[in-house]
Amino acid sequence: MKPLDPRLLRYARSARGYLALTVGLGLATGGLVVTQALLLAHALGSAVADGATLPDVVPLVSGLLAVVVARALVAGVQERYAHRAATRAVAELREQVVEHAAAAGPRRAGEDAAGVVTLATRGLEALEPYFVRYLPQLVLAATLTPATLLVALGLDWVSFAVLVGTLPLVPVFMWLVGVMTQGRSARGLATMERLGSQVLDLLAGLPTLRAFGRERGPEARVRALGDAHRRATTGTLRIAFLSGMVLELLTTLSVAVVAVGVGLRLVHGGLDLVTGLAVLVLAPEVYAPLRQVGAQFHASTDGVAAAERAFAVLEAPLPVPGTLPAPDLARGEVRVRGLGVRARGGWAPASLDLTLRPGRVVALVGPSGAGKTTAVEALLGLLPPDAGTVRLVGADATGVDVADVDPRTYWRQVTWLPQRPVLEPGTLDALLGSPDPADRDRAAARTGLDAVVAALPDGWGTVLGAGGTGLSVGQRQRLALTRALLRPTSLVVLDEPTAHLDAAGERVVLDTVDALRARGSAVLLVAHRPSLVALADDVVAVQAAADPATVGAP
Amino acid sequence: MSAPDRGTLRRAVRLLDVDARRVALAVLLGTLALGCAVALAAVSAWLIARASQMPPVLTLSVATVAVRTFGIGRGLLRYLERLVSHDVALRGMVALRTTLYARLAAGRPEAVLAVRRGDLLARVGADVDAVGDVVVRGLLPAAVAAVLGVGTSVAMALFWPPAGLALALCLVLAGVVAPWATARGARRAEERGVQARADMTATALGVLDDAGPLAVAGRLEAETAALRDADRRLAAAADAGAPSAAVSAALGQLAVGLAVVAALVSGVPAVRAGLLAPVELAVVVLTPLAAFEATSVLPAAAVQVQRSRAAAARVLALLDAAGPGTSPAAPHAPEPATDAAVPGPQLRAEGATCGWPGRAAAVHDVDLVLAPGRRVAVAGPSGAGKTTLLLTLAGLLPPTGGAVRLDGRDLGALPRAQVVTAAVATTEDAHVFGTSVLENLRVARGDLTAAEAREALERAGLGAWLAGLPDGLGTVLGPDGRTVSGGERRRLLLARALVADAPLVLVDEPAEHLDPVTADALLDRLWHLPPTRAGAARGVLVVTHRLTTLAAADEVLWLQDGRVAARGTHAELLRDVPGYREAVESEQSAAVRAVPAVVPAAGPAREVGA
Repeated sequence: MKPLDPRLLRYARSARGYLALTVGLGLATGGLVVTQALLLAHALGSAVADGATLPDVVPLVSGLLAVVVARALVAGVQERYAHRAATRAVAELREQVVEHAAAAGPRRAGEDAAGVVTLATRGLEALEPYFVRYLPQLVLAATLTPATLLVALGLDWVSFAVLVGTLPLVPVFMWLVGVMTQGRSARGLATMERLGSQVLDLLAGLPTLRAFGRERGPEARVRALGDAHRRATTGTLRIAFLSGMVLELLTTLSVAVVAVGVGLRLVHGGLDLVTGLAVLVLAPEVYAPLRQVGAQFHASTDGVAAAERAFAVLEAPLPVPGTLPAPDLARGEVRVRGLGVRARGGWAPASLDLTLRPGRVVALVGPSGAGKTTAVEALLGLLPPDAGTVRLVGADATGVDVADVDPRTYWRQVTWLPQRPVLEPGTLDALLGSPDPADRDRAAARTGLDAVVAALPDGWGTVLGAGGTGLSVGQRQRLALTRALLRPTSLVVLDEPTAHLDAAGERVVLDTVDALRARGSAVLLVAHRPSLVALADDVVAVQAAADPATVGAP
Repeated sequence: MSAPDRGTLRRAVRLLDVDARRVALAVLLGTLALGCAVALAAVSAWLIARASQMPPVLTLSVATVAVRTFGIGRGLLRYLERLVSHDVALRGMVALRTTLYARLAAGRPEAVLAVRRGDLLARVGADVDAVGDVVVRGLLPAAVAAVLGVGTSVAMALFWPPAGLALALCLVLAGVVAPWATARGARRAEERGVQARADMTATALGVLDDAGPLAVAGRLEAETAALRDADRRLAAAADAGAPSAAVSAALGQLAVGLAVVAALVSGVPAVRAGLLAPVELAVVVLTPLAAFEATSVLPAAAVQVQRSRAAAARVLALLDAAGPGTSPAAPHAPEPATDAAVPGPQLRAEGATCGWPGRAAAVHDVDLVLAPGRRVAVAGPSGAGKTTLLLTLAGLLPPTGGAVRLDGRDLGALPRAQVVTAAVATTEDAHVFGTSVLENLRVARGDLTAAEAREALERAGLGAWLAGLPDGLGTVLGPDGRTVSGGERRRLLLARALVADAPLVLVDEPAEHLDPVTADALLDRLWHLPPTRAGAARGVLVVTHRLTTLAAADEVLWLQDGRVAARGTHAELLRDVPGYREAVESEQSAAVRAVPAVVPAAGPAREVGA
């Protein structure tokens, strides 16, 4: 894991300006820290050694005050822009991840769907401590530490030698501790996670335990698991904190060694007080950024890991959309031949043939897992098939592969009702495209939406939230069906439209499909229920194949 | 939620049940560790200033030893302090989780049922962690900073009072004012960002979940624009909090410098006046440089306190909803059963109205009797309140009106242990534990043997599934049954209800997620359950929207619009109730018409009737 991944600057533009600012402020901090140490040493040295009066040191003290104020300003500016840069960079990464994942289609490589959701919503937020705390200290380690070392060299080469000698020990010891403890802490972490999830499992199952009257016993188990979790965690921490201890021990001890060395050489007159004081004030500053980097390291690892996962999503190749205009499907057809999509351990679907024509209803049937929904996704051009073709054929019988078609010209002719219809926020009326009320009422009566609207306090003016919150899945389906009726497209795809409906609701769907057919739409139904299948003109059985060798066999 | 009560965090921290001695030890170790750093600065300043006066080397030997000791002590003590403080917090989290479990187990059952599972896990997991974190990251650092700040200020005041006073003021600036500003900024950003964050999450989730449908509907661009807008508002909210954070950072830095300058300005004339030794001036001026380490973590501590307070409010809300234990502990003397003619337990609903607290009732005025040997079906369109009725009959939800009695006594007044010996329910969202198949069945009965478990799984239609498992009954299922399909999960829960020794079994939608043939076979087996081990006949109540197999039931309750619209045998309802007849007919006629077409051909997929 790199401390500063160049890809971060490539994908998150806000991070670039921020890094430049941080480097600038880091250089300024280096200069200010050195100036402060020298001014302080001179003022204090002259007062202690030469008995200087207040007026004697006023110029030095005024300079010191100015430096103090300047350092406060630098700290404030850093903090002010760190938060801004962090939120902007997180937002930029989030948008790119979401857009990329959406464009990659349903079978994206790498991260699973739930992983990308967690990454986009919560995971990337972990970059905030990285930007706000870790990165500035990392920059300071590259600016402040060398600056103070150089000045120390100019002041007192012996102290410089001590500091330069111990500095490499810091990473060496950290690395040693890391290597020695890696195996143990990985084991410890695994135990911790297992015990932790067992406790949560018991709590999540509490309602079930209650249903069987067995909720009393596990209380002791919750405590025992908790105690085991605590012991495992403490064991891991005992090792994890070692690196912190080594870091503190090395840095504090070498400051002490510098102080003692300076003191002894002062006694023998090998050094003057001002130089000694300056070295004493500067010595801790050499290590301060390193210690902070160490302290913030754990806070930053989650963010770095999240960023790496984001890069993995962003670097997955995207399919190139086609450019040809889609033929007019009102007088054409969609022809699927030998369609196969690889699934775990075989094909789902395997070698599927079907043709969608205007005014005909085709039902896709088959057991769950056979690949019905996958077939729909391939047919709509969302998923490249691993075998076979999907062609859009125009009235003049010239066909074009769906992969070569500009998807927008195809999708304009399609209405797709997935199992869980998604609706944009807005009023019911606007969702339907604010149609003529007479048309609207006729369509709503057919789909049963009229009964839903009648029960809503604001009727057609009811505002729905994102995703249609406020309506049940069944009600959302009726709304989507109504929309399909009001704005009929050449191709209508309904994925298990009766799954959440009882017998009465089902009849409504059957009526709607009849109406769509009558209007000349080509309708594709993914059907479980026999009533839907019975309605279809053509029934196509979708089958999965366990062994790829059987695909295409007679 | 944005502003929990002041006492919230205190109440939650009290539930951590922390050991005062361990806390004192942690504060002591922390103070000593950072005290070593302060002492190191003070003694080195003294050493260098004194050495410049060229005294005999021997007079410096104590100081040189002390400097090295402090240099080592700091790292070691800090290590010990971190171990002790984390141990305190971890012990607290265990105590809080155990208390939470115990209270939820003893309290009102609906308190847990009313919380979504994900939400429950978040409260028990992350929120309890956040309450524990306040000890390590909030309260202990504050205590250490206070003790150390007072100690250092007093020590400096002993050398030169004005310097001690200035240090104390600057420490207050860095340790009180700066954290306050940080907390204010964080709160402002949080409050302004709540809506934007919710919008961002919802939009990102929507785009990722439904990228395909959105793309086909041509709405993907609008949705990503909405995401960009939510992120822009989130950034604006963060900007609103940033100035306070900047002021805090500047104040922290300023305080150190001011303390040094104040010591210098007040100390130089004192040396001239002979009130302060020159060597002491070095100590008074240089010590403040190390004195602010303890306060530098306090702004982050203030933010942690705020975060933990919000988490504490959520944990306490869960505890308060559960209330004190309501199940009576001791069983009362048994009263005579009302229907002496019927052997075994009798569950009777009398005018029962069922619903969730605070919501409109789902079902009104239900009369129903379930006794050994009886088969009752509750049917009706989706959303008719069938599941709510089942939860009420099982005693998991108190009736909002009327009564549910077991052998003549109110279900709510009976100890839970007594209720479950008579009647058990399996709900559709019951939990599958992350343990073996056998242990998952033993949830219903602890002494279940492997043979009994196999038989129950067979009866629930999972025989073939069990045979296919790598380790048979010992196969470990993923947490929350993520490794089993919807239909398998449903039947596993059914098997669990079957192994319970209760004569009365209430089952929720056993046919969901199953194809019609499997579903009908399963229901058929349910209607003909064998007696319990004690020999009592089984009484079965099934909630279902599949009507075809209900001929086997003694009584069918047809629910519509939250009421029992009709009741009787399957045949009577078919004859008298048009709605019921239509529902059954549409189920059957469709099946008959479609079956030939559905049977897959032996060859490759084919196109039919084109």
